[in-house]
Amino acid sequence: MSERQSAALPDFADLVRRHQSMVFSIARHFLADSAAAEELAQDVFMQLHANLATLKSEEHVTFWLRKVTAHRCIDYKRRRTLPQVSLEDAPEPSVQSRTADPLLSQRLRQLVASLPQKPRMIMILRYQEDLSPDEIAETLAIPLGTVKSQLQRSLAILREKVTRTIGEVAI
Amino acid sequence: MNPVNDDNETNILEGALRDALRREDAPPDFAGQVLARLVPQKPERKFSRDPWHAFFTQPLVRWAAFAVITASLVGGFVHHREIVRQHAQGEAAKQQLMLALRIAGSKLQMARTKVNQINDDGSAQQQDQEKE
Repeated sequence: MSERQSAALPDFADLVRRHQSMVFSIARHFLADSAAAEELAQDVFMQLHANLATLKSEEHVTFWLRKVTAHRCIDYKRRRTLPQVSLEDAPEPSVQSRTADPLLSQRLRQLVASLPQKPRMIMILRYQEDLSPDEIAETLAIPLGTVKSQLQRSLAILREKVTRTIGEVAI
Repeated sequence: MNPVNDDNETNILEGALRDALRREDAPPDFAGQVLARLVPQKPERKFSRDPWHAFFTQPLVRWAAFAVITASLVGGFVHHREIVRQHAQGEAAKQQLMLALRIAGSKLQMARTKVNQINDDGSAQQQDQEKE
């Protein structure tokens, strides 16, 4: 650690506290595994510490963290070359829902976890981080048209599956 | 299902997705664990603070040391070849001198033989004259 970084360590600790929820949640929703998400989030912050000198502003840090977390999540799944998680095999979320309809939230998280990797990350960035399709395209370095079509397709799939499993009354 | 209902359903689904995918709190003491992972890097730096180790791990110094060693090896090789060449030249000169000495010795021997022969002839003539 350089002297500059040592001096900036309190700032780094503050950055971790400010962004830990965002990074952990992206990984948690993508991997559907709290322990793996925690480990991956820690790795992201270690990488942030190593690259702190290249980041100029708070907005840059936020953008960088989303981008690195998204790519690390996708790489993590690719490295393990796990088969696509089927809806039935998707793990039950361990967190308690804070919505009025916990059953629907749980089912939606399961359904999102069963999507292919890129569409899954697009959904997480859209509905967790509330990013626009432009921002998602920039974060994942993919064409805007791909983001829009993947969003529409994923929403159609989710709507069909939710309707089938919970019933049209639920939504 | 008409388009208005479709849009309405989509909006409801999007709202439900925002609820389902809202940010979660990181595990307790997450930041502490991240910072703790940074600490073990310090002993490595302590090791590199050893003045000799720190000095010789600098890239410029390593390149300089490599250059000095290479130059010494090349210099030693050139010096060795020069000594071998001088030694060979000395040997050749010695051989030439020996040859010259041998030639000079044989010539001297021939001259001495001639002188002795002349002396022998001279003394024989003198004895003949005295007899007469």
